[in-house]
Amino acid sequence: MKVVRAFRIRVRGTIASAACIAFLAAGCATPPPADDREAVAAFNEANDPYEPFNRAMLDFNLALDKAILKPVTYVYREGVPDPLQTNVHNFLSNLRGPIVFANDLLQGEFERAGTTLLRFAMNSTIGLLGINDFAAEASIPEHEEDFGQTLATWNVEEGPYLVLPIFGPSNPRDGIGLLADSLMDPFTWLTPFEFRAARTPGQAIDRRAQAYDQINDLEKNSLDFYAVIRSLYRQKRRSEIRNGAPSSSKPIPGGLSGLPTPKPEGQQSKATSPGK
Amino acid sequence: MYRSPTSALSAFVLLLLVYASPAVAANPEIFIKGLGDKAIASLNEQGISQDERIKRFQSLLNDAFDLPQIARFTLGRYWRVATDAEKTEFVEVFEKFVIQTYSARFQDLSGKKLTVTQSREVSATQTLVLSEILIPGKPSIKINWRVHSKDTQHKIVDVMVQGISMSVTQRDEFAAVIRQTGGKVGGLIKALRRKTASN
Repeated sequence: MKVVRAFRIRVRGTIASAACIAFLAAGCATPPPADDREAVAAFNEANDPYEPFNRAMLDFNLALDKAILKPVTYVYREGVPDPLQTNVHNFLSNLRGPIVFANDLLQGEFERAGTTLLRFAMNSTIGLLGINDFAAEASIPEHEEDFGQTLATWNVEEGPYLVLPIFGPSNPRDGIGLLADSLMDPFTWLTPFEFRAARTPGQAIDRRAQAYDQINDLEKNSLDFYAVIRSLYRQKRRSEIRNGAPSSSKPIPGGLSGLPTPKPEGQQSKATSPGK
Repeated sequence: MYRSPTSALSAFVLLLLVYASPAVAANPEIFIKGLGDKAIASLNEQGISQDERIKRFQSLLNDAFDLPQIARFTLGRYWRVATDAEKTEFVEVFEKFVIQTYSARFQDLSGKKLTVTQSREVSATQTLVLSEILIPGKPSIKINWRVHSKDTQHKIVDVMVQGISMSVTQRDEFAAVIRQTGGKVGGLIKALRRKTASN
């Protein structure tokens, strides 16, 4: 066990340094001096060795957002009646049915797979191609799954934090998940180019519209927007991997363990802790 | 005056909700339920000024939350290296920051309802209370409260909204700010002062 762990750490270290060289030299954060224990612990906990690169990527994404996505979303939110926006959202969510179903199965969650199948069947037919979420009204609520989460349930580590161009906050595990999902999606293969060309920006606008107020709030109230997004992304993913179940392994503020103790494996060990 | 003992009882309970300190309750579940009802009733009252709303929010916050303890948690590992003067100053400016940030987030409570779904003990003195905010025509929002209890006295030490802990988010952000200002807690205090002075 020990050998395996040592090997994994070694491999991870090698991959990390190789990837670090692959990036621009300026893209890698310099680890703090080894004798500064607080700084080293904070550095490891952040699990963000490419922070300068990631910050630059966030700036790039924000500039794109400000120039294109945000104004378009603003017009969409102001101009399109709310019920129609809900229809668009339902339609796009319904299209994800096959991906969610496949990932439910891959995770061995057969009951959830059944729910997803039932929802897809109901909403695609009587819900008129998914524009109405009658299943939710019949108390069969939606749930999300993706291949990034499936990998996590298979105990694949998340790897370091990465901000992808256009796609935003991610990590190697979720990046692979994103690619795998689009490959396993029947709508990628069975629909004409025009459909796909409309779906992708549609999805971007719908998602941006859902998060519109929160993003404004965060921009206004944060001291370090980048760090907040990073923290939110990780916590959200962990919660999704646990299928929304509360975690009890977190440090308890107010208790004697109120001060977080650094773990040998940093944040990664928490991300893959089995949850139900 | 009352048609039945039940309505007399519910009127009495209502009185308690309005006048009693929400921090005193038989158990953490009742505490959270009472706090939710009180917050919605008092912050959603029509015709009160914005200043009055913030004042009410502040008194609810001070009553129901263990802010010094939360402040200490959000400083994480840096609490140990902070000087006593820095600790005092940090707790003070943290409370200001929380009131400014969160009073805006509790602006629109109209039509919303809080229901407690269940609770579980996480330690001898702490309970996790699971609840949902119901919004008409929208999916409900899951909110979990970590409550520290001593007899009938309860204080909230963390709130998790859809699985995201407010304390952990704040701690991660503060750590990043401290790291960027050369590992000094003073740098964070300065940034918080600027933030609370500007808006």
